[in-house]
Amino acid sequence: MTRSAQSVSSRPSVKSGDNTITVPSDTGHIREVSVRILEELSGYGLSEDILFDIRLCVEEAVRNAIVHGNRSSKSSKVKISYAIGPDSITIGVEDEGQGFDPKVVPDPTKDKNILKGSGRGVYLIRKLMDSVAFNAAGNRIEMTKLFGKNRNRSK
Amino acid sequence: MPVKIESKSGVTVCSVDGEIDINSSPDIKKVFDKLISQKAPKIVVNFSRVTYVDSSGLATLVEILKNMRSYGGRMKLSNLAPKIKSLFEITKLEKLFEITASEEEAVSAFK
Repeated sequence: MTRSAQSVSSRPSVKSGDNTITVPSDTGHIREVSVRILEELSGYGLSEDILFDIRLCVEEAVRNAIVHGNRSSKSSKVKISYAIGPDSITIGVEDEGQGFDPKVVPDPTKDKNILKGSGRGVYLIRKLMDSVAFNAAGNRIEMTKLFGKNRNRSK
Repeated sequence: MPVKIESKSGVTVCSVDGEIDINSSPDIKKVFDKLISQKAPKIVVNFSRVTYVDSSGLATLVEILKNMRSYGGRMKLSNLAPKIKSLFEITKLEKLFEITASEEEAVSAFK
């Protein structure tokens, strides 16, 4: 288990040194993923707001992978990979399900959908992250958050 | 108990403590289900001690509101931290919920 002991010089770039976390398809494991990623970001001087966004998007993506992707099947796992660069974090979340077409997720802000219980997770991810992409199979999401001006001190 | 319930001027004030997310939502919903079974007509949810809300939490609040509307009940939310309020704005749920700055404002707006 690697913990956030990396020095500045060994900090991975987005292209290399990915870290991975694998969790079973049980929503009780969502929090440990976001805790781990936020711990890795603890030395970066990021604002509370950006950490909130990253936590929320990680938890939404992992939840979707567990509940919708793997349909909470005990034998299926969710693989999370993340790479932290000087100015951004990229997080990938992959499940073992059939995949989905992100284009057909109904817009939860439309009047006819606003009272519905689902659809807000992916919507929030698209709004709060700087870039979001799905693989062709639809069982992997990759999302990037730029630190930008939310970073309040350099390290 | 994640929710403290008080009666103020005929309004049920529910102060939620902590996070409203996939883990805590079922317990929070149970508290509101009880109030709904009693047909509580006016509920204010005070968010001053709420530090985090996810889409499950938002969906739970929508569900509670829907259930209250079925008997003509009304619900207002107060004291949302700016970041949490922004989630209601992004998801356009601000047009569904009446959101006030303070609990007092929410309670008196019911009169």
